[in-house]
Amino acid sequence: MSHTQTPARAVAPRDAAPGRPAATARRRGSGRETLAGYLFLTPWCIGILLLTLGPMLVSLYLSFTSYNLFDSPKWVGLRNFQDMFADERWWKSVRVTSVFVLVATPIKLAVALGVALLLVRPRKGQAFYRSAFYAPSLIGASVSVGIVWRALFSQDAVVDQAGRLFGLHTDGWIGDPDWSMPTLVALSVWQFGAPMVIFLAGLKQVPRELYEAAEVDGASAWRRFRSITLPMISPVLFFNLLLEIIHSFQVFTSALVIAGPGGGQAGGPGGSLLVYTWYLYDQGFQQLRMGYASAMAWMLLLGIALVTAVLFRTQKLWVHYEEEGTGVR
Amino acid sequence: MNVRRSVRALRTVGAAVVALGLLAVGCGGGSGGSADGKVTIRYSWWGAADRAELIKKTITLFEKKHPNITVKTDFQEYGDFWTKFNTQAAGGNAPDVFQNSVAFLRKYGEKNLLLDLNSQVKAGNLSLEDFRAGLEKAGDIDGKLLGVPVGGNTFALVYNPAEFKKVGVTPRLGWTWDEYNTAVKKISEAKDGLYGASDNGGVMYLYDLYLRQHGKAFFTADKTLGFTEDDLKQWWGDHLAANKAGDLVPAKKSEQVKPKSSVSADLSASEFTWDNFLVRYGAETKTALALAPIPTTDGKKTGQYISSLMLSGSARTKHPKEVAQFIDFMTHDPGVGKIMGYNRGVLPTNAQFDAYTPTGVDAQVAAYEKEVAAAGVIEPITPHPAGADVCEASLLRIYGEIAQGTTSVDKGVSTFFSEAKTALGS
Repeated sequence: MSHTQTPARAVAPRDAAPGRPAATARRRGSGRETLAGYLFLTPWCIGILLLTLGPMLVSLYLSFTSYNLFDSPKWVGLRNFQDMFADERWWKSVRVTSVFVLVATPIKLAVALGVALLLVRPRKGQAFYRSAFYAPSLIGASVSVGIVWRALFSQDAVVDQAGRLFGLHTDGWIGDPDWSMPTLVALSVWQFGAPMVIFLAGLKQVPRELYEAAEVDGASAWRRFRSITLPMISPVLFFNLLLEIIHSFQVFTSALVIAGPGGGQAGGPGGSLLVYTWYLYDQGFQQLRMGYASAMAWMLLLGIALVTAVLFRTQKLWVHYEEEGTGVR
Repeated sequence: MNVRRSVRALRTVGAAVVALGLLAVGCGGGSGGSADGKVTIRYSWWGAADRAELIKKTITLFEKKHPNITVKTDFQEYGDFWTKFNTQAAGGNAPDVFQNSVAFLRKYGEKNLLLDLNSQVKAGNLSLEDFRAGLEKAGDIDGKLLGVPVGGNTFALVYNPAEFKKVGVTPRLGWTWDEYNTAVKKISEAKDGLYGASDNGGVMYLYDLYLRQHGKAFFTADKTLGFTEDDLKQWWGDHLAANKAGDLVPAKKSEQVKPKSSVSADLSASEFTWDNFLVRYGAETKTALALAPIPTTDGKKTGQYISSLMLSGSARTKHPKEVAQFIDFMTHDPGVGKIMGYNRGVLPTNAQFDAYTPTGVDAQVAAYEKEVAAAGVIEPITPHPAGADVCEASLLRIYGEIAQGTTSVDKGVSTFFSEAKTALGS
């Protein structure tokens, strides 16, 4: 039939009332396409069921049990959660992780925004700088970089010697419970390249006329930044903030590697690097309390969900989306 | 027409892709396949690089003598080893044969993860003859043979003889804690950057010796702790005071040199550890180290016992016969003895012990064990109940926090007791 040679979708809006044979032919054709689409989706569906959703549901079940990996799980109801709130080390891991998130995220985003502002205007070697700053975020969370970082911050190494020049703390950073967290924060901030690239994209979209108009009105650079740049990139800022916070809550490899070899002692020097995920790993795989660890995992999910919800609620106050279009607030 | 054909073609391709994908998923890696009589077994151990080198040589020897068996190896540092083992065992994928020690026999035995080697002994694949000093009984837990020793060791003081000579103290059998502590203090005061001793306040085995000198022990036969909170408060209090006074290596410094120990990083002049560690430390530093007897409280008792590193099999192994042959080879073959030396402790069987003439550090270890045996200070081992390993790790970790100043002695003691109670009670 000649009129099925054109794709069914293109035909539909224009031919409002075609003959019946055309309509059924169109439905049959789109039915086959849908089927093909679903078939192509099946590998991904299997993956998400077996590797993500399935384990998540099992983990939810395990969080209400006592499970030591070898005997079958025993139902204990809410006891894992009760134990959690009474567990001092759990509170410590929450504190350590919260400190990390609250300190590393603002610094990282500030540095990312600052460097993005420097790179937004075309200059020589711009592509090189972009790539150079972006590279750390590709490899930063890896074990090898963690090992290098630990070496850099140990006694008499580069950072220690440089610190001596500025009268900063000496005697190594990684063995000291007061200075091991700054080491971890520094590693996180060093990976500012990814949010920076996103900021760059956001900054490039700010219309030049706004800046020109502000200059004509005599606005200073800071005023222009505060009243034009920040509001105009606030969606991008919100996106970066959200993603960075969610990501920081899950820090694991960096903390583990910076704290050094010879595991079995979760938490690094004096427990100062006991991030939440590390304590979870320790409880689940070293102490063989997998039920408790599963409960911890769901608690982390709830915590991050809470933070995310709060962020979304407050975005009305400071995030300005173009579609609302009433100008700079 | 074209649309229908292209859609059908797409569907066919799509179905083929899905089918291929499922096929790939289904063909997982097999383990230890025994096609054409060849068997592959997996062997894991903990230790440093020097031990790995030696073990690899022994495996080459084993594979030569047993050409139908291939051995795949894997090793970690001590702390990480058990985490990996736990994960593998939970997935039903534990290594066929692996290194073990007394502290873990009950823990994994009760979970039915360890192969009872008695059946293999009866089948003639593993011999318990010719073991020295009753070591063949070391792996006997309630009638099951859960481990076979590959070396015997006992606790010792690794020390720097030159530094001790400078302050005029010579370690000898029956010397006291006062003499030792005086020497430590003098060494710390004499030199900047060198401390008299490493801070071993968190080492369960040392505290066990100290308790045994006072008629107690770390664990009792009833699977409880054999000491009180006040005992621990005193032990930790004394160590913390010595640490603050500058006699012991500060925690901040010992953290940075990991995985080396303080003594092999030339930070301290003495450290309490297993005597066979002298072999490892000797490889890690150029300073000449030696073994000294454990200081005593009453001039006689050191509280020492013979412990051992062992080889155990996985209860779920598909090749128990080959595992038994492997263990038999590793414990009896003189060639293995000559390669390993005393890296894992004094060689457990006479065949190996006689075949190997110790030189250098190994000779020191041999001499030390001979001296200790002749002095008659060896006593039966403290029983290690299930949960002993958790207590060991907790003691180390909590004392580490005390030494770092992030918690107090009193708080640390109560935390330790509650963690130990949970571990031993479960």
